[in-house]
Amino acid sequence: MLKEIEDIKAKYPDTRAALLPALYIAQKEFGWLSLDAMKAVANALNLPESDVRGTASFYSMFRLKPAGRNLIQLCTNISCMILGAERLRDLLKDRYGLLPGGTTEDGRFSLVIMECIGACGTAPAMLVNTDLYENLTEHNIAEILGKYK
Amino acid sequence: MITLTINGKEIRLDKPVTVLKAAQQAGIKIPTLCNHELLKPFGGCRLCVVEVERMPKLMTSCTLMAADGMVVRTESDTIADVRRAILEFLLINHPLDCPVCDKAGECELQDAVMQYGPPTGRFIEEKRKVRESHDDPILARNMERCIVCTRCVRMCEDVQGASAISMIERGGRTVMEPFSSRSFNCEYCGNCITACPVGSILSRLYMHSYRPWQMDKEVETICGYCGVGCSFVAQVRDESIKRVIPRIGFGMNNGLLCSKGRFGYGFIEDSGRLKTPLIRKGDALVESTWDDALDLVAEKLTEIKDSYGGRAIGGIASARCTNEDNYVFQKFMRVACGTNNIDSISRTGYAAAQKYFEGLLGQGINANIIGGIKRSDMVLVLGGDPASVNPVLGLSIRAAAKAGAEVAVIGHAPGLERYKTINVLPPLFKEADILEALLLEVFRARGNRGESHAIDRAVSEFDKEYSGKTDMHGLEELKDKLLKSDSISIVFGMDLVQRTDGHRALFATAGLTHLLEARLYLLSERPNEQGVIDAGCVPDMLPGGRPLGIPDFRRRYEDAWKRPIPDTEGMTLMEMIEGAKKGDMKALYIMGDNPVFNLPDRTFIKESLASLDFLVVQDIFLTETAELADVVLPALGWPEKSGTYTNLERRIQLLRKTVETTSGMDDWSIISRLSCRMGYDMLYTDAENVMDEISRVSPLYRNLSYKEISDKECLWPYNGEPLRGEAKDIKVIKEKSRDYDADLYLALDKPLFHSGSISQRSPGLMDISPEPRLKIGTRLAEKMCLKDGDNVIISADRGSISIRVSIDPCVNGKVVLMSNNFKEKGALGIMGYNLDPVTKAPGIEGCAVTLRRG
Repeated sequence: MLKEIEDIKAKYPDTRAALLPALYIAQKEFGWLSLDAMKAVANALNLPESDVRGTASFYSMFRLKPAGRNLIQLCTNISCMILGAERLRDLLKDRYGLLPGGTTEDGRFSLVIMECIGACGTAPAMLVNTDLYENLTEHNIAEILGKYK
Repeated sequence: MITLTINGKEIRLDKPVTVLKAAQQAGIKIPTLCNHELLKPFGGCRLCVVEVERMPKLMTSCTLMAADGMVVRTESDTIADVRRAILEFLLINHPLDCPVCDKAGECELQDAVMQYGPPTGRFIEEKRKVRESHDDPILARNMERCIVCTRCVRMCEDVQGASAISMIERGGRTVMEPFSSRSFNCEYCGNCITACPVGSILSRLYMHSYRPWQMDKEVETICGYCGVGCSFVAQVRDESIKRVIPRIGFGMNNGLLCSKGRFGYGFIEDSGRLKTPLIRKGDALVESTWDDALDLVAEKLTEIKDSYGGRAIGGIASARCTNEDNYVFQKFMRVACGTNNIDSISRTGYAAAQKYFEGLLGQGINANIIGGIKRSDMVLVLGGDPASVNPVLGLSIRAAAKAGAEVAVIGHAPGLERYKTINVLPPLFKEADILEALLLEVFRARGNRGESHAIDRAVSEFDKEYSGKTDMHGLEELKDKLLKSDSISIVFGMDLVQRTDGHRALFATAGLTHLLEARLYLLSERPNEQGVIDAGCVPDMLPGGRPLGIPDFRRRYEDAWKRPIPDTEGMTLMEMIEGAKKGDMKALYIMGDNPVFNLPDRTFIKESLASLDFLVVQDIFLTETAELADVVLPALGWPEKSGTYTNLERRIQLLRKTVETTSGMDDWSIISRLSCRMGYDMLYTDAENVMDEISRVSPLYRNLSYKEISDKECLWPYNGEPLRGEAKDIKVIKEKSRDYDADLYLALDKPLFHSGSISQRSPGLMDISPEPRLKIGTRLAEKMCLKDGDNVIISADRGSISIRVSIDPCVNGKVVLMSNNFKEKGALGIMGYNLDPVTKAPGIEGCAVTLRRG
């Protein structure tokens, strides 16, 4: 991770500018940004620790609480909602015990309800980690999630 | 010249400023919340909006630069409407708990709402609930009251340079938090408390114990912790200091304080304060009366003087006492006791360095204004951490670094870790090698200045003699940057003096100061180290830095004091202590210091003091030294005194009595009563009266009155005459530095939160830092599998101490650091010493230790 941060540092005029990508790298490494992870980023970029935490807490794409191995981001905006996203949300709760903002007991999945991902034509849609899934139904969602351990 | 009109009033500006500043200069008040005198314009709260003719919208006056011909209105119906709307928004989440908020009465939000409304809010939604955090030992954080002006965060980052806090989350959920979200773990300067316009950051030390409008008195005084001498206002109720607050434009600290200054005054109310004189009866010290105690001291000192002569009596003065105390003390020793054996614990650092530098470079060489550091383009920091020894001076170095100055550090300075731009890594205890090499490189590149002959000759001679290598890591870069800089500040810490070859670093620094035309600053741990010297508490100088050896100077003081002064120079501090052990020294009079604790080799010091026929200690606590005394006399702490301190810039400042006490007596008053009993009358009425005599007698302070000191800046060379004259030739001794091949050494740590042995009696500082810690490097911690907080036993030749460790990545692998501030856990006690033959300061380097878990 430190090597990766070192590499991206070179692409930016100063270390502060490299903070967002560095936080991404740390999040990829640890799954979420613990205080220790943020400290490591601060050290790597020679920035004050409090600055790193301030920045990380500002953006919703950084997770400051422990998260599962796989992150499900489900859209519930208008198109998805009309086409049944709320039912999918209930299904995740009933079948996996997964609440929005929560993590499954086995640490396999975390769920975040996200705003529009721009897949309205193929709604409902979700992201699992960085993979996009469209035209979700109560049937195919189980199959998709089965691929992630 | 810019001319603008504000509210119909024509204002002329000499230099471009914002409309807000222009209005303030003209006495027109514009309400603000996010604006702060010490911070850059922010434009966040929008409360300072004004109407500017020919500008379509309202403008924020804090960010708008005044321009020629501008016509501005600061109050109108539209503006009032906008301000009311802003305040209504700010109050959506504000709890309106003014009745229980400490800030009520001095709250900027309260003031603004009182002026502009709204009387009631229209929002019916529930307010944001955030628990008040008391997770930190001293700072309480109430985020319901926070209006997100970010003044605290900007203060912490831009001014203090600690960057301990930040705004967390966004939108309506934004709060200020330290990194850990619980304890601040910061420098605890408390400047965020000053910055906060509302009651969001409060000191737990005085929380709920005062109302700002219910103070009995406010005293403008100075801090007595370190040699910076910050000004503040002490607010007092029932003869107890409730809090101290710095003010913008008041004193050279201009609104800033450090942890010691802000939270350290509690020691005066400690239950261990001495209340009556004590006299030894066998093994015990028993309570006595002033008359009996003073009679006994007078009788004993007279007896010893008559049988052994004045040379058998010695005096140790204190850099925590005022100029007046120290002047009266040395006068008493010289004239009533007939001895020049007068010195202070400052001999272990400041006094030794100051004498060396003055001897080579002339009197007043260290009289430089702290503000000058900010304007340097290069700062060289040697042998000490300014950010912990003299924190407010340290801020100037950080400010210089932020403004683009190069900062080079030789020594241990964790407080400048983020700010240094040049890395020089000398081998352990070998800073002098690097400084000598640097001096020669600079000399060879630039040559002599040719003004001051003695130093020029010495440097040339040194160049011929020198055979050491000059290729050390970072040296080349440092030399190039020094030669390129126009304005250099050298900040000299006392770690380099406390070496057996301390004079080498002093010589090299003096040479560099001269060749580079640098400003020299001496770090000073105690408030009046310069004053002790100027008042004459040194064995070789009379007040005003006049050499004792010159008969004309001696005569001048003899005429004034109407008694002869012994013509031989006295003994220095360690010589007196060693003399006691040998039996040459029969009596010691110690005013306001604790040599048993504050000098190296505790067993030796104790044995030496025990060998004395008679020991008098004048102090506010029953210190380790006072426990050995034959007579103990209770004195006053600095908040209880009137007098003057001379700070490390040689600025003389007034210390004003803040609280009354019945516990003790002024140091000068005790000494003068004693002197009368010994047949030499000293009839001073008050401290001011003593100062009148000093300014009459000392050529340095001609016609200096308290009124003058209080009314204007009292800077070197005051009204007086500095000593002029060619410096004597300094013999340059070429020495090879010792080898240090033990596995581990102990060195002295100067922590940020403690000073001397008084801070351990201040509840505020003890809350922040309740126990001493042994600082160890990361590698050593890994090797010994030690975690933060693990207990170890550190052993040296002269003893062992059980202590918990804290891991500090800035610590060199071969050394561990320990402070000398906590009872029974002071590093100096187990360290041996060797006197530097030139400066007579005890060298404490090279104390080999072993460490084991325990």
